[in-house]
Amino acid sequence: MLTKIAGGDIIDPVNGRLGKGDLWISDDKIVAAPAAGAADRTIDAAGCIVMAGAIDIHSHIGGGNVNTARLLLPEQHAAHQARPATTPLSNAGWSTFQTGCLYAKMGFTTVVEPAMSPGAALHTHLELADIPIIDKATLAILGNDDFLLSMIRDDASSTMIEDYVAWTVASTRALGVKVINAGAAAAFKENVRTFSLDDVVPFYGVSSRKIVKTLQAAVDSLGVPHPLHVHCNNLGSPGSADTAAATIAAAEGLPLHLAHLQFYGYGTEGKRRFSSAAARLAELVNATPEVTIDIGQVMFGQTVTVSSDVMRQFSARGSAQPKKSVIHDGDGNGGGIVPYSYGKDFYGTMQWAIGLELFLLIDDPWRVFFTTDHPNGAPFTVYPALFELLMSREARTEMMAGLSPPAMALSTLAAIDREYTFEEIAIMTRAAPARLLGLTDRGHLGAGATADIAVYRRDQNIAKMLGQAAYVFKDGDLVVQDGEITHYRWGKALRLNPSPDKAMLRRLEDYHQQRYGLSLDWFDFPDTAIAREQPFGEVACRT
Amino acid sequence: MAVAWIGNRETLVERAAAHAAALLGSSRCPVFSLDTDIHGTRAAIALAERVGAAYDHADGAAVSREAALFTDKGAMTVAPGEARRRADVVVVVGELPQIHHQFVGELSATVPDLSTPDLSARNQREIFLIGSNEMSAPRLSNGRIATLLSCGEASLGATLAALRAQWRGRQTSRPVSNFDDFAKALEAAHFPVFLFSGDATEGLALEMLQGLVTDLNRKSRASGLHLPASENGWGSALASTWMTGFPLRTGFARGFPEFDPWRYDVARMIAAGEADLHLRISSSIVQPQKKRNRMALIALAKTQEPVAGAAVTIAIGEAGVDHQAVVYSSRTGSLRSVDARAASELPSAATVIRLVASHVSAEAALPC
Repeated sequence: MLTKIAGGDIIDPVNGRLGKGDLWISDDKIVAAPAAGAADRTIDAAGCIVMAGAIDIHSHIGGGNVNTARLLLPEQHAAHQARPATTPLSNAGWSTFQTGCLYAKMGFTTVVEPAMSPGAALHTHLELADIPIIDKATLAILGNDDFLLSMIRDDASSTMIEDYVAWTVASTRALGVKVINAGAAAAFKENVRTFSLDDVVPFYGVSSRKIVKTLQAAVDSLGVPHPLHVHCNNLGSPGSADTAAATIAAAEGLPLHLAHLQFYGYGTEGKRRFSSAAARLAELVNATPEVTIDIGQVMFGQTVTVSSDVMRQFSARGSAQPKKSVIHDGDGNGGGIVPYSYGKDFYGTMQWAIGLELFLLIDDPWRVFFTTDHPNGAPFTVYPALFELLMSREARTEMMAGLSPPAMALSTLAAIDREYTFEEIAIMTRAAPARLLGLTDRGHLGAGATADIAVYRRDQNIAKMLGQAAYVFKDGDLVVQDGEITHYRWGKALRLNPSPDKAMLRRLEDYHQQRYGLSLDWFDFPDTAIAREQPFGEVACRT
Repeated sequence: MAVAWIGNRETLVERAAAHAAALLGSSRCPVFSLDTDIHGTRAAIALAERVGAAYDHADGAAVSREAALFTDKGAMTVAPGEARRRADVVVVVGELPQIHHQFVGELSATVPDLSTPDLSARNQREIFLIGSNEMSAPRLSNGRIATLLSCGEASLGATLAALRAQWRGRQTSRPVSNFDDFAKALEAAHFPVFLFSGDATEGLALEMLQGLVTDLNRKSRASGLHLPASENGWGSALASTWMTGFPLRTGFARGFPEFDPWRYDVARMIAAGEADLHLRISSSIVQPQKKRNRMALIALAKTQEPVAGAAVTIAIGEAGVDHQAVVYSSRTGSLRSVDARAASELPSAATVIRLVASHVSAEAALPC
């Protein structure tokens, strides 16, 4: 079927297309305007802006820890519940079904779950497969697992380490690799309570830095498009900016992605010894082109923190609100679930301001990514309000008026004039994520691209405009009309598929037999286990 | 081989499914009890939404106690693989279901290989059992016997409370047997692990255990290993949680999911005469059930004959035996894909439920 999206304001930075025009779709692809022939369907986009479907690179939408958070907090359900809709289970708040619907309504068509425990890969993919409409992807967690730490301790060759990383990525159907507080979860099992970049994991004698550098090199060497995704040490601690700065310096010319930098933007100035170090970190990011970051913006209200940084979550248990939590020592990282409410007090205000400072002080929209670290900084449903804060200084000023003055006094936010343009938004939420993840088929509106398209009706109220898309196409299928889901379709989980080395497979089989008393197939699964047609879409590694 | 019956009369599966759908469509209070794999659960929950049913595990009480630990209190837990590789002290809390006894035996026959704990001269884990002499305890390797921690006739919850109090140096009305050995073992331990289940352990006892684990973690490490009362039950609880935001004992009576562990206790609903239709999904052989009130029964079961008293019976295969399946594995602490051990033509629960759902209405296809 040939569809014409007519007369919209096209915003496609990748192809340099900015301005009024038509966009053509043939089945599931964007095509050049046909020389002749009429469209089977015409969408009137006059008064609308037209962008590629948005891509979220870091949002905890499925898997063991996310599900444990749901289990821990049935009372959260009411807050998430939408009014009854016609699509099955879409009003089941805090569920996989609602996740897909809410993302699609905002014009998002691809979302990355950034923390999959390899041992829970099947569980994670089953949850992702129950998220309708959008495509998904996930990153496999390494860096606290005995197999890798033992190899590093024993000076295994880089080839062997790459074979192991390749096996992990392939068997878990991951799109990349994440390291979370490298070595800290293993150290926590040895009763270590704080852990920094140059601290050494007991039993292994391996530093956190060594783990990060080893994985960074392996990911780069294997041609994994997405750089190693790093959750640094000391998340949330006053002075954690020093850790982030040291980690940025450790990139040393190879690509490195730092997740939710806001949670590391904390200095130790002021009488509370908690201040903004955003300007310093932004300057470092600006000066380090091999580094990309996402923000993890905090917004006010109730949420739940979900993290595989089990050491950090254990230390945060005292601040749980409501007062309950789950701490799980996993085979590698495990995780911690701690509910939390961000108030407009000094600390909440400071965290909110630091995130926005980072957004606004990092110059290059190709290297800063739009996230709340859902649900850690805030649920992804706050995205429309966050877009407004980035695009309107007036909205920021209005918000700041109701926040903690002592905190604002320690922040540069009030002095920042920058307002994001739609073109910068299109880069930050479409073009740049696609490039960062190696997804050449999306993030732009050029001929041949997958027809993932979001059409927004212009409105003075930016949050309203970007919160309810006028039209959303997923793979050329019109799935959202006037902010409402029209029907379900089932997206894919995007994955890499490097060939595992046979010697490594034998070694892993022996390892699992000896150490766990189980054969390796207990930890693997066929695609058919997902019980959906074509559950995976393959993405190529760099050659 | 016959695979479907309406009453006692053999029929085509398609016709039985249509009849089941008609019964569901006319029911004012349908309830589902599940003992099935992940995909069977997914299909059942999707159907439950469509017909406004409540659902629970077939042995809902134990699974509900385990879910309540998480919904009400939270927990510190450890993966089974990590327990096997790291636990230098193992404490069995109360009576564990038989399916976990082999793993306890395995723990007693192996030693941790991570970290470097002092395992005493015997080079083995220390194993304790909290409860009473009358309990059915897992068999340990080499004829070993777990050291009993008991307060005589006191309940498990009271024994755990006494143990926790003694550990914190407080007075107790009755001392726990062998406490000094336990305290000594904990003092020396690197990573003690407490094995627990909701099978025979009350909710307050589970909370008390977590209190003890929390106390231990003030200065050192310890954790609890959740060994579910029912692997199918816990798997269903997980699938329900991602699909609706809630564990089992959720109902769709008002068109959206509501979690109420008392109201949607399916056994209670049946006993109280609230339910007028019971869909029972179990790949194991089902025992005849006493007819209650005028409640109709739809039985999906691995059977070669109609289930006594059922308005509709449809034969299904057993997950992992007759067909490939995804199940919860307490051995890995996560979901696992299992191949068919003796593949047959018997359909999976999910297949039959979808067939029933296809007859319920002409709305859009169900999502699972």
